[in-house]
Amino acid sequence: MRLAVERWDPGEDQIEVQRAPEPGVAGGAYRAFGETLRGLKTTFARVIEGVHTIQYPEQKVAVYPRFRGRHKLHRFEDSDLEKCVGCSLCAAACPADCIRVVAAENTPELRISAGERYAAVYEINMSRCIFCGYCEVACPFDAITMGHDYELSDYNRGDLIFTKEMLLAEPLDQTPLRAQGE
Amino acid sequence: MSTKSDYRRMEGSITLAPLSEQIGSQRLSSELLTLNFGPHHPATHGVLRLLVTLDGEIVQDVKPIIGYVHTGIEKTAEDKAYWKVIPVVERMDYLAYYFNALAFCGAVETLLECEVPKRAQYLRVIHLELNRIMSHLVWLGTSALDLGAMSMFWYCFREREQILDLFEMSSGQRMHTRYFQVGGVIEDIPIGFAEKVREFTRIMPGRVDQYNDLLRRNEILLQRLRGTCPLDERTLLELGVTGPLLRAAGNPWDLRKAAPYSSYEDFDFKIPVGTVGDNYDRFAVRIAEMKESVKIIDQALDGLPEGPYITEDRKIALPPRHELATSMEALIHHFKLVTEGFRVPPGEVYYAIESPRGELGCFVRSDGSAKPARVHMRDPSFVNLQATAPMTRGAYIADLIATLAMLDPILGGVDR
Ligand code: SF4
Ligand code: SF4
Repeated sequence: MRLAVERWDPGEDQIEVQRAPEPGVAGGAYRAFGETLRGLKTTFARVIEGVHTIQYPEQKVAVYPRFRGRHKLHRFEDSDLEKCVGCSLCAAACPADCIRVVAAENTPELRISAGERYAAVYEINMSRCIFCGYCEVACPFDAITMGHDYELSDYNRGDLIFTKEMLLAEPLDQTPLRAQGE
Repeated sequence: MSTKSDYRRMEGSITLAPLSEQIGSQRLSSELLTLNFGPHHPATHGVLRLLVTLDGEIVQDVKPIIGYVHTGIEKTAEDKAYWKVIPVVERMDYLAYYFNALAFCGAVETLLECEVPKRAQYLRVIHLELNRIMSHLVWLGTSALDLGAMSMFWYCFREREQILDLFEMSSGQRMHTRYFQVGGVIEDIPIGFAEKVREFTRIMPGRVDQYNDLLRRNEILLQRLRGTCPLDERTLLELGVTGPLLRAAGNPWDLRKAAPYSSYEDFDFKIPVGTVGDNYDRFAVRIAEMKESVKIIDQALDGLPEGPYITEDRKIALPPRHELATSMEALIHHFKLVTEGFRVPPGEVYYAIESPRGELGCFVRSDGSAKPARVHMRDPSFVNLQATAPMTRGAYIADLIATLAMLDPILGGVDR
């Protein structure tokens, strides 16, 4: 036996949506014209709103400052030393396990980073990365940040493993950034 | 065990015996036709395969076959620290990422008995409701496309673009933003965000009116939707269907009001319900929900309290960045949270919220370590999909398309 439906009652807080008229019959003939005209009016009125699309490859979409695109590794501006000390915190934080860091000791002859150690290998597999930005959050030295570039496609998967040199270099063309209040 | 796969056996279970019926003095014989519909079909809204048994144009039976986008996310989650699970579970129902994140974060917060600051709750509500509108816009655009209304698609995607821009502004990403964290949100909204949201809430009700002008009384749409494939409330409840589909049948069940979470009790909004539960009601309920969501966003912006945006419990939330350079203690906490993550006391919890498609629940079992022992999502699309067959049995195949559009299943959520 099926039980009667017991309804939870929100009282005043519900509104019934409007039912539509029965299709067909006499009203149908009116609607086939009248409502179609109303629809056309709505569509044509949009013409004055202008164009909403942009011509993508020629015209790039500007991103917001928080946008997370291709990563960047940073150097100190004054001494040119790398900020990354190879601590692997970013690799530990990465949910996609796509960062590989191999650390090595700095020596007095070869000083690469400001800390005791530096990243001898630093690779990010861009085809695995989900751009969550946890690496940026995890890095205690602001050595890695998420850049703004979103054009990352390539012909080979192998080319999508970005090495330290690639991540340290400035990208070839800059992605436009939105100005405040835009 | 036979050598046949499950699918093959399922296909074999449909009888294709010829039907013979007597019509007048003539003896007509007709044969059932099994039509394989999908998985790559634009009207299935994802990779859904339907095995449809047709008698002429009449649908006799529908068997949804799922699993084409199985991602193993629930299993993956068992292998990650709690905070690393968030970007992973977000990718289940790819149109409701904020909801996925909240279901998981809410479950973990319940286990941790962690208090979420009021400001964080309001910020969550703003993003959730924007996300709800965005999800309904995608539904409306693609469904209208199925019914032959081309320009609706462009209009919906124009507004969706505006919402995605807002997400990009506050959370850094347009989809899968990982903005919600256990204990709050990861950063405060940027300057100018509130104004941009207001700009959106100002124009959105007008836009909804325009959609209504185009569709609500359009004769073609009425013919396709009104009175087609209704399903009564009791059957829906027995199948476990929730969300707009259940509300279209007249049952006002909405978790935002029935069991408020994240400060929903502070907001004044209405639950749109239908009467008959046909495709038209499903359509009208969702359209009306968009307007209610706009109201909630406005109220949340008006009442947005000052204060922290994430819990100040250093055992759960990362310390603020500026402390890293000055405080050794902050650095230690940071190190521990990033490498191991926080530990969650043993226990089980089920946390349910109202997603655009119905009750989205997250079950988390913790064994006391820093990784969940089990994460399971009750995804509304999965449950709602069961209603396909009872809704469409006896209807025309064209109505099956319309019903599927009004069902709004998201296959990423179905398969997980
Ligand atoms: S953005 Fe996320 S997935 Fe990509 S490298 Fe950083 S932590 Fe890993
Ligand atoms: S980028 Fe930062 S977190 Fe990663 S290894 Fe270098 S210093 Fe450590």
